Amino acid sequence: MIKRCQALLGTFVEISTEQDNHQAVNEAFSAVKLVQNLMNFHNPLSELNQINRWAHQVSLEIHPWSAEVLRIAQEMHRQSDGLFNCGIGHRLVSAGLLPRHIDLSRHQLGGIEDVHFRGSQLIQSNKPLCLDLGGIAKGFAVDKAVESLLSSGIESGCVNAGGDLRVFGKSPSSVQIRNPSLPSQLIDIGSLQNGAIATSGLYFANRDQQQSHIINPFAQDESEAHINFSGSYSVIAKECAHADALTKVLALSGEYDHPCFNYFSAQAIRISA
Amino acid sequence: MNWKPNPFAIVGLAMVSAPIIAHAKIYVTAEQVQKILLPNKQLIQVPIIISEDLQEKMRIASSIRHPFRGDRIWKAADGSWLIIDEVIGKHEMITYAVAIAPSGSVLGLEILEYVESYGYEVAEAGWRKQFVGKTAHDPIKLNQDIQNIGGATLSCKHITDGVKRVAVLYDLALRAK
Repeated sequence: MIKRCQALLGTFVEISTEQDNHQAVNEAFSAVKLVQNLMNFHNPLSELNQINRWAHQVSLEIHPWSAEVLRIAQEMHRQSDGLFNCGIGHRLVSAGLLPRHIDLSRHQLGGIEDVHFRGSQLIQSNKPLCLDLGGIAKGFAVDKAVESLLSSGIESGCVNAGGDLRVFGKSPSSVQIRNPSLPSQLIDIGSLQNGAIATSGLYFANRDQQQSHIINPFAQDESEAHINFSGSYSVIAKECAHADALTKVLALSGEYDHPCFNYFSAQAIRISA
Repeated sequence: MNWKPNPFAIVGLAMVSAPIIAHAKIYVTAEQVQKILLPNKQLIQVPIIISEDLQEKMRIASSIRHPFRGDRIWKAADGSWLIIDEVIGKHEMITYAVAIAPSGSVLGLEILEYVESYGYEVAEAGWRKQFVGKTAHDPIKLNQDIQNIGGATLSCKHITDGVKRVAVLYDLALRAK
């Protein structure tokens, strides 16, 4: 049995497997690193920042994983009636939560709906963009790590990126989530087999006196963009990218029965504080 | 996908069941991390006395205040290095290892232990000592059943500070060796 941890995606990524195969675990960590290199807003040279800089001017050939995550983000956007939108990077930049690479104040920015595929990996945008994949990339990285482990022949295990996790294999695993009013305490929420759970909560942001990173994409100005809530919102789904993105839909809508949970075969959980 | 909710947990409502306290996670030992980060290399432990001047330079570069311990440094014949260090935040203590290639670039970074607390305990040396040097085989206050903890994202920014101080150590004390 292996249980390892690396500091990636701005958080702690934990990989555990039943079989002792360090090479397979190394490759899974490499998959997470690749997602980080492609989609990191903090690195001015990441592919995400190239998209933000150029996509409204030229067609861009992007990595297959970037294309995949943008397609998932677009489907999420459609199914959630616009509640999930990655085109909110500028709000996080203004709040000091993300670095400012270019001055966007003069631009009318578009959203994920303005990204158009001209080929399977060729994109262009109608409008200047400030995409941030912080609401989906962690889950996507977990999925890629799980795919990597499966293709190395690992039969069961778990990948956990700072609290967004996916378990796979024959035996169900018990899953605890942090109690939002006392995050050192864990709440046993049951057992999960071949599934993912992601959580949005502001308890660490509040503890560290940071602005809320949950953004309402429909907000007209800064003052109403940051959504505050106590408690936490978790979503269980087959894939972690879906679970990750759907926690934002849940936090923003407050609807457990929003049709998109059904569409992605997901379950919504709120823990009140 | 198959999800069996805890019978005490009612979906969509506040859930209260017996709380479990998050304490400590031990991932790999100092011995294991050598094989993970520098596989097939013979490592020799090279303890280094950290002068006050070096300690100060590392502190300025990283803003980490607790002193660096010079006894967990290993070297391979080809000039690669492995350094184990701790970062202590307000809420956690993390032991990590950095492997440095002969060229001076960082080859890899692995977390050995993660100890979490939300109170005064982390600041207290005595409380920390109970975890230092323990391995996964030692019976400390570790709940082995805690496997998969979900929740809001934790920040790993202290690790970035830690890597900064290891880089200074390498530049000023190890590179020339």
